[in-house]
Amino acid sequence: MPTYVDMTRCDGCGECVEICPSDIMHIDRTYRRAYNIEPNFCWECYSCVKACPQNAIDVRGYADFAPMGHKVRVRREKEKGSVSWRIKYRDGRVKEFTFPIRTTPWGSIKAPDSYAAPDMKALSSPLLSHEPTALNVAALPMLASAKK
Amino acid sequence: MFVSNPFALLAQSIPPFVMQIYVVLMILAVALGTLFDVYHKGSAEFFAQRRKKSQAAAQRQLAGWQVASLAARTIGKEVVTSGEFCKWQRQASHLLIMYGFLIYLITTLLMVFVYPRAARTPTAVTALWNIGGLMVLAGGLWFFFALKVNVAYEKHSPFRLIRADLFVGSLLASVAFGLLWHLVQTAHRPGAASLFLLACYLFFTTLLFVSVPWSKFSHMFYKPVAAFQKRLEEANGSSDLPAPAKTSNIKG
Repeated sequence: MPTYVDMTRCDGCGECVEICPSDIMHIDRTYRRAYNIEPNFCWECYSCVKACPQNAIDVRGYADFAPMGHKVRVRREKEKGSVSWRIKYRDGRVKEFTFPIRTTPWGSIKAPDSYAAPDMKALSSPLLSHEPTALNVAALPMLASAKK
Repeated sequence: MFVSNPFALLAQSIPPFVMQIYVVLMILAVALGTLFDVYHKGSAEFFAQRRKKSQAAAQRQLAGWQVASLAARTIGKEVVTSGEFCKWQRQASHLLIMYGFLIYLITTLLMVFVYPRAARTPTAVTALWNIGGLMVLAGGLWFFFALKVNVAYEKHSPFRLIRADLFVGSLLASVAFGLLWHLVQTAHRPGAASLFLLACYLFFTTLLFVSVPWSKFSHMFYKPVAAFQKRLEEANGSSDLPAPAKTSNIKG
């Protein structure tokens, strides 16, 4: 189900433009509001839905299983780390679901460029960059041969 | 520069009533442009339909004082403090532009209509005209070069102009040329430079007010209506947003 923007709610902050992995959230040239330029290419990851501070991005259901008359609205609450969905079916039934989207405070995850660059010795280590500290554990289990 | 009235100086060569007629024409252009914009885009019809849908889906009826309270809160937050913006930089820039423009506009009207020939225009008026203009430039240039979403997030050049730039671009150019013209005028250098800056000032001012149907100028009328409608839907239970989550998932 690709996303679309309610332009009366959007304030053109650009959060969805920055986060969209498919690079299909762009800025309208007339009103400077966000819009999905190509719903066919939407990955349906809903990163934009979860990033929108104005709850301006909704989901458009495919016509085969969600025919005209339905509605899907989304509320993102970053202070609670949750996203709630309200599905209004064509026959008028309404269902609501709430899901956790993160357990750490918004903005607390460090961006990759804020870590120091690893040295060349790290190439021979089975650990990935900044493991195990980035995983908040003291150590990771490793094969005895890899420890040498 | 801060103590002289640019329009009183201009009145030495152009009769004040010509300036007054120009200002009235610009006010008419904004009024007509806004009416055309509302008719062409159907925004009045859109909000009327939304209001009807909201009333039909309302879970509780609001009393008159509750609606008035919502309107007052909309004015207090979304209008007076530009509280709709989620980022403080955009809010600050918008406030600088909005209040700068209001100060600049009111003092222009005062100088054109009340003190067109007065040798002693109150210093507060002339100073505020300059301060208002500088506030518009500070907020507008900050927005234009750093905060504009297509510049900040899409990494476009700020000079890659789009139609959405018509309002802020013509406003910045109008104010900048107005201040530059006044600077040259007060430096006692009448001549080609002063005339050229005055022509640019008039061109961009006319563009700002005449381009209302194609620019974002009318957002100052419909954005408060949209904000009020949003508050109304939340208050009467007709909002289609899901209910807020009951618990927090944030640990620590």
